Amino acid sequence: MISLTSYAFVSMMLFSLGVIGVVARRNVFVIYMSIEMMLNGVNLFLVTFARYHFNMDPQIITIMVIAIAAAEAAIFLSVIILLYRSRKSLDSDIFTSLSQGEKS
Amino acid sequence: MIDLIFIGLSLLAILGAVAMIVYANPMYSALGVLISMLSVAGLFALLNATFLFLVQIIVYAGAIMTLILFILMFLNIKEEDLPKEPKKFQNIAIGAAIMIPLNYLIISAVSKLPKKDLNITNTDFGDIKPIGIQLFDNWLVAFELISILLLIALIGSVVLAKKRKSKIHNQGEQS
Repeated sequence: MISLTSYAFVSMMLFSLGVIGVVARRNVFVIYMSIEMMLNGVNLFLVTFARYHFNMDPQIITIMVIAIAAAEAAIFLSVIILLYRSRKSLDSDIFTSLSQGEKS
Repeated sequence: MIDLIFIGLSLLAILGAVAMIVYANPMYSALGVLISMLSVAGLFALLNATFLFLVQIIVYAGAIMTLILFILMFLNIKEEDLPKEPKKFQNIAIGAAIMIPLNYLIISAVSKLPKKDLNITNTDFGDIKPIGIQLFDNWLVAFELISILLLIALIGSVVLAKKRKSKIHNQGEQS
């Protein structure tokens, strides 16, 4: 029998690896995928507790999270395309140009 | 049998996430994330969330990650365009040092909860119909707000992707 703790371990591992990716990497694509990974870990936790309490509300919240992630992907990728075209770089420092105008 | 499937899927999920962090090329990172998302979909199926299993495969693996792979190929990123990351493993150690206490706290808290059977049941729990009834009974406002959010994201990405030749050209000259 698979216990609740093992599911909690897997989802916390996914969440922590996402946080580590955001902290350690400079590539904006990897940072975005790390955020997706954190969302995935939280989703897994929510679905585990939905099964644990035999209640379907957490699954609805998970659907909402997935919809928000899809909206986020559309906006993020268009911003990245614009920034990459003007800067020719994938460093996360390119986002400073959003706050400092066109000089950088 | 179910235990073996669980162990395999969780190993694949964690190894995919590790591959995402370790590889320097974003293409390999995206493939690692793809593996991880598919294994999480399998874990959803083990947790009796049939509809979420489908949604995870269709939306995450099918739409979002494919879009990212498509953009990565479209941008045609070269080796010298990738950011230099000399302190990567040192930063990974810092991140792990941040996250280990939180992991310990949450797992020790969860392990004190009463044990329950988490196996697959024969009821219609997590099927499409009960989820739809739940969604339209109790979560109608959130559902409508999500649809507005998706519409705004659609409009926003079209506006952002529109060609603004003069501005981009000037920026290219300055930098």
